[in-house]
Amino acid sequence: MDQAIDPTRHGQRKSAMLAHAKTAFFPAPAPALRRTGVVLRLPQQMTPQAPELNALLIAVAADRDRRAFAALFDHFAPRVKAYLLRLGASPALAEDLAQEALLSLWRKAHLFDPAKASAATWLFTIARNLRIDTIRRERRPELHPEDFMPEGEPMADDGLALADDEARLRAALKELPADQIQVVELSFFADKPHSQIAAELDIPLGTVKSRLRLAMARLKRALGEVS
Amino acid sequence: MIQHHHRDTEGIAHHPSDALLLTYASGAADEAVSLIVATHMSYCSLCRLRGRKLEAIGGALLEDLPPAALARDAREAVMAKLDSAQPYERPVVSSGAALKDHRTPAVLRPYIGGDLARVRWRRMGPRLSYVPLFRRGAVAARLLRGVPGAGSGLHSHQGLELTLVLQGGYTDVTGNYGPGDLQVMEDGMRHNPVADPGEDCINLAVTTGRLTFDSLMQKIAAPLFGF
Repeated sequence: MDQAIDPTRHGQRKSAMLAHAKTAFFPAPAPALRRTGVVLRLPQQMTPQAPELNALLIAVAADRDRRAFAALFDHFAPRVKAYLLRLGASPALAEDLAQEALLSLWRKAHLFDPAKASAATWLFTIARNLRIDTIRRERRPELHPEDFMPEGEPMADDGLALADDEARLRAALKELPADQIQVVELSFFADKPHSQIAAELDIPLGTVKSRLRLAMARLKRALGEVS
Repeated sequence: MIQHHHRDTEGIAHHPSDALLLTYASGAADEAVSLIVATHMSYCSLCRLRGRKLEAIGGALLEDLPPAALARDAREAVMAKLDSAQPYERPVVSSGAALKDHRTPAVLRPYIGGDLARVRWRRMGPRLSYVPLFRRGAVAARLLRGVPGAGSGLHSHQGLELTLVLQGGYTDVTGNYGPGDLQVMEDGMRHNPVADPGEDCINLAVTTGRLTFDSLMQKIAAPLFGF
């Protein structure tokens, strides 16, 4: 993407930082969204929480709501860029793919199902797949709903229960011991098999696996047990 | 000493471990491992749910990443593309009855050229045949087929050998495997799977290193077939 300053707007900007800060979360007065029963009034400069993000994404799907999209962009694009940087993408590529991920959000919003994932989790899967396609140049073998549509899924969770799960999960992640959060993070941000993670941390593979097992046991408690 | 494993309501007794499922959910697994895990998940609602819960860890980690600064015109650049962006349509890949009736999982179809029933097998002796699917470095994916009573021969592995039953079943020292079951043999483990009575046993197999056969004939033949 073109990172040069648009000459027509150059004079309007004091600095890129300030401009970014001004538009950080809402470009205009916060809209009130009344889909899914969640009334949205985002205070300026505050990080939107899972139910708000879900409602924004549903507004994009239902109404092609550009203001909701702008809010999602401001929240997620910098995080997706950070994710790609953590996985070793160059800053220019991370920028391009972060923008592309958000464009995918616009194009795929109608596929978002709040009963199955939070907006953050859904966007994580978009960013993950985009990275596999473009950086690793592999196909991502994805499940196809046709295979199991008729019988449906054995999950009674609605979107709100899922948002609770996510809040519990984030709290549980913060409470993991440092050696456990390290292997969980590396599992997501290193793009390496566990054997290689073990080699880099200079610990036996068995230790990586046991740390992961301990971490999973704690996280599962937060997520509700699924054996 | 065959162990008896509990079969769930979908008839599946052998599932991927958390660590293996995590490599698929995080995007760290390579394409062949992703393919076999995803194909298992297309049979297994339990693992679809487990997979979604693991993806939620990715969502939570994404939410908690320190945001990276974007190019100053990033949002405007993406929003300028929204009007011309076409809504994403999921490709149609298959149609027909349920997986139990020998339908080929949608995720597998692009890799085997469509229907399992129309695959062109290559002979590997009177009772075994195979189809190489793809190989990247030491990681290979293939289809294997044995008539009832056929054995692959006693062998051990460098790296992992993952086997997913697509049709029929087989038995080895660790237990009995039927459609949807995933067996993971780790580095150095030896087994001698034999196809069960009834219909031919068809497996999707992924190896991340070479197999070592105990018999001299197979030692000679294996490299010819790309094992």
